[in-house]
Amino acid sequence: MTIVQIIEGPLWYIAAAVFVIGALWRIIGILRLGRRTDLSVPRSAAFPGAVKALFRHMLPHYGFFNRTKLHVFAGYLFHIGLFVVLFFAAPHVAFLKEHVLGFGWEAMPHWAFIVSAQAAFAGLILLWFRRIADPTMRQISDADDHIGSWLTFIAMLTGCLALQESNASLRALHMLTVEIWLIYFPFSRLMHAFTFVLSRGYTGIVYGRRGVTP
Amino acid sequence: MRLILWVSLLVAVLAGALFANTLSPLAVSSAMAEESVPGETLGNESDSDLWRRVRRGESFTLSDPRLGSGVLVQSEGEEWRSIRNGLVSWYGGILVLVGLGATVLFALLRGKVKIEGGRTGKRVPRFTMVERSIHWFVAAVFILLAISGLIILFGRYILLPVIGPSAFGAVASAAMQGHNLFGPLFVVGLVVMLFAYGMDNVFQAADAKWIIKGGNLFGGHAPSWKYNFGEKTYFWLIVMTGTVLSVTGILMEFPTLVGELWYLQLSTILHAVAALLVIAVAIGHIYLGSIGVEGALEGMTEGTVDENWAREHHDLWAEKVMQKMAENEPKGATKPAPGAAE
Repeated sequence: MTIVQIIEGPLWYIAAAVFVIGALWRIIGILRLGRRTDLSVPRSAAFPGAVKALFRHMLPHYGFFNRTKLHVFAGYLFHIGLFVVLFFAAPHVAFLKEHVLGFGWEAMPHWAFIVSAQAAFAGLILLWFRRIADPTMRQISDADDHIGSWLTFIAMLTGCLALQESNASLRALHMLTVEIWLIYFPFSRLMHAFTFVLSRGYTGIVYGRRGVTP
Repeated sequence: MRLILWVSLLVAVLAGALFANTLSPLAVSSAMAEESVPGETLGNESDSDLWRRVRRGESFTLSDPRLGSGVLVQSEGEEWRSIRNGLVSWYGGILVLVGLGATVLFALLRGKVKIEGGRTGKRVPRFTMVERSIHWFVAAVFILLAISGLIILFGRYILLPVIGPSAFGAVASAAMQGHNLFGPLFVVGLVVMLFAYGMDNVFQAADAKWIIKGGNLFGGHAPSWKYNFGEKTYFWLIVMTGTVLSVTGILMEFPTLVGELWYLQLSTILHAVAALLVIAVAIGHIYLGSIGVEGALEGMTEGTVDENWAREHHDLWAEKVMQKMAENEPKGATKPAPGAAE
């Protein structure tokens, strides 16, 4: 078995299993923590508060907007770009159909892929720079944040370098970096892709019950 | 028997008529006039003549215009190839090495440019977060483009003999894809940079004094606003070469924008020349902005510089900024707060 075959075969399944089991383990663990019993009389329903918080926190409070505009702009640029590339790039759609889901959907045109990938790269570069340049961000960032950022960047970069789809080793390199990313994911803050719903929801439930808008 | 004879006669007449029509002088001259059989045995033109016309770059009429250009061999391509792979690669490579050599020589002769008065510990704001973000964004994209571009231009001479054709094929393909992908980001970054830094980089009277004194790279003191003459020159070099790189890069990425292949060939040469020039100079910029000048990098990483650094390198700007800081300082700030312990 060649290295390419190992990367595209057993290693892929191992990485996917670690990702799925690890992420589920973390999410179930958080859910199992439950909520602290609140003995106060509820002023409003908790669940609508959670939903409200989930959407309202997509933009910062107007009082903070000016201070965080670069962060918000770069954040959306990166996350939307990455999401679109991940689920609508033609090679990804084909891969998901053949190896994961068994069904596919319409892939975006090549020009849209290029625009989305560039948005993702631009956003990630700006976000990482902010992480190292802003004194507060620098203080609260640790190795995990930097490893997560760089792994994501490298996985995206190798994907774009393999865009010509003419070389098996470039494709394998991209898959290898994605596999490392998948294995790292459940043990890192990359988990925020799933846990942001839980954290915002929890805050929303607490404040919703108190009848205030977070 | 009679039937056989009649059939034979009919076949013979038909064959004779067909043969006669094919070889008739009228038919041949008609084919010659229409030039419908070039290269055929009975055509009006020999294979040699036909291929000579092809080689000269003559345009032919295609049966289907959608097939593309009627020019089969574009002879200027040969000249373009020899210029790009010869002149540009050779002298461009030397230019980059000269940039590197000059930087190393400067580092060896001058050493690190230190803050003469030492650090004061007082900080002067130099670059906002937005300015720094733009700089590092362009810098990151520039480095990726420079590495991939150098692989595209020099890879066949440097990498191919070392890593072999198979590995080089992968590296070259990756470099090309990366280069095409990051190129448009550089265009966006360049435009934003022009608006963010343009005003402060307009040449001023103080720059003439800076030139006369040779800056403070060789000792002594030269007056300067936010950017000195060298930095301003580098900025406008980036803008000019960046514009050439952007326009030619877009043409190469979208070749259908221009009809003539010649424009694309010119674009690749201009692209390479502009890129090599800016890479050669950028080596010096990277050295001076990082380890070459003490305290300079802090401006771009932390956003602030030491007060003495500001005075020594950009005195006119420093004076103005510090005056502004003093004006903005809340009055009576030194007085003890109400209720504080005496």
